[in-house]
Amino acid sequence: MSRREYYRYAVARIRAMEHLLLDAGVIQRLLDASDLAEALKVLGETCYARSLAENVVHERYDAALEAELLSSIMELRAFVPDKELVDLFRIQYDFHNVKVILKSSFLAKRGGKKRWELMTSLGTIPTDSLIVSVESEDYSLLPYGLPSLIPAALSIWEQTGDIVEVEKLLDAGLFAAMLKVAEGFDEPGVLKWVKARIDSENFRNLLRLKRFGMSAQKAAAFLHSGGTVSVDTLVQLFSEPFESWGRALFHFEVGGAVSKALDERGFDRQIAALEKALDDYCRDAVSLARYSQDALENVLAYLWGKEMEVKNIRIALVSKGASTGRDETRRMLRNGY
Amino acid sequence: MEDIITTMAAQLGQVLVVLGAGLAVGIAGSGSACGIGIANETAAGILTEDPKKFVYALILLALPGTQGIYGFLIALLAINKIGLLSTAVPITIWQGLGIFGACVPIAIVGFYSAIWQGKSSAASILLISKRPDQMGKAVILPAMCETYAVLGLLMSIFLLNGIKVG
Repeated sequence: MSRREYYRYAVARIRAMEHLLLDAGVIQRLLDASDLAEALKVLGETCYARSLAENVVHERYDAALEAELLSSIMELRAFVPDKELVDLFRIQYDFHNVKVILKSSFLAKRGGKKRWELMTSLGTIPTDSLIVSVESEDYSLLPYGLPSLIPAALSIWEQTGDIVEVEKLLDAGLFAAMLKVAEGFDEPGVLKWVKARIDSENFRNLLRLKRFGMSAQKAAAFLHSGGTVSVDTLVQLFSEPFESWGRALFHFEVGGAVSKALDERGFDRQIAALEKALDDYCRDAVSLARYSQDALENVLAYLWGKEMEVKNIRIALVSKGASTGRDETRRMLRNGY
Repeated sequence: MEDIITTMAAQLGQVLVVLGAGLAVGIAGSGSACGIGIANETAAGILTEDPKKFVYALILLALPGTQGIYGFLIALLAINKIGLLSTAVPITIWQGLGIFGACVPIAIVGFYSAIWQGKSSAASILLISKRPDQMGKAVILPAMCETYAVLGLLMSIFLLNGIKVG
């Protein structure tokens, strides 16, 4: 039996789980709510009710949203034949946690406070184990190349004191780990999704660095290999004006997303539009799998859809708390699953 | 030795018919089991989240089962033709080979069409999980594979009728 044949049950169950994803009507009601309390009440009528009841204290909803996403991840992990496929989605959170721990330890050395509350429970490594491993300098049991990355990051910090260099190293390690896991599946769709993630990160970095007026040579260090657009092409693109990026990227799938974002006026709008377009690009990388009854990418597509849903809820709730205009908030919302 | 060869030659026709009947039931039935299994995996996934869809799923996952029934029918007709269910009729090797050949269409077409119908049914089960109101279309799509199983069945019946025995 091929790997895909084991996915028929999982894909069918995911199809049924899609019904629980929030539709545009609920998001609209969140936007229409007069204040945060009313928005939370609307959310309480959906599948988020349980997470909200267990986690919301004084209108602090972040824990509830994280708990809901974690519950979806764990539910999928229970029945998806390859647990590594769900973990592929979670590696980003492990690296986020490592960054938090390292930054906290750097802060602590300068008399600051450790910020464990910024860690997320969504990673594959339990947060407590990760803290103990890093603090006791026992990295041997950590996955995803972390046993060599953490000492390297500590060494960079000791030599340069530059947190950006540490971030660069860990980001490179994250994408290398994701590529390695994706290649292990020998499924073009899974690899395509990881490449789309790398493209997204590269273009986010590229746009920001260009606005900061950084040189192409320096910017190259912030780019990650393994995406559909090579680092060399990105560096060449860096020297070009924004207007010509669309033409230069015509042959790449990511070109459409970038061109659409750069059509906006003003940097802030361009950045916001690019973030949204790149999220859509990652969704589109696995969207065709939804027509298949046994494609592995369905797992990634669902998890990505759930994450975008949580992101949309967070945007809507934050905008309620900050009294942001409805149109402005709507512009920031990601497209649904 | 000569007696043994003579006896074997006299019974070889019947042996071929039994072999053909066995293949019709065995191969077409295996295809049906496989097809139902494929549809079942999908149905189980849907029913885990939404047990109310059981009836819809049951109808769709039963569709690939017909090929096994067709194979069984042809096998019955074949063995009945040489009287294995009542009084045995002596047949030649060529008549036996003809009946064996008549069983082949339903065996082969039944096997492949059942597997593909199973895949098609699985896709239709996914369809009704989202749009239960489209049940009619969901049944018609996998039923298209049935056309070829029916053609195989008809050809096997025509061939069996065309062979004169006794």
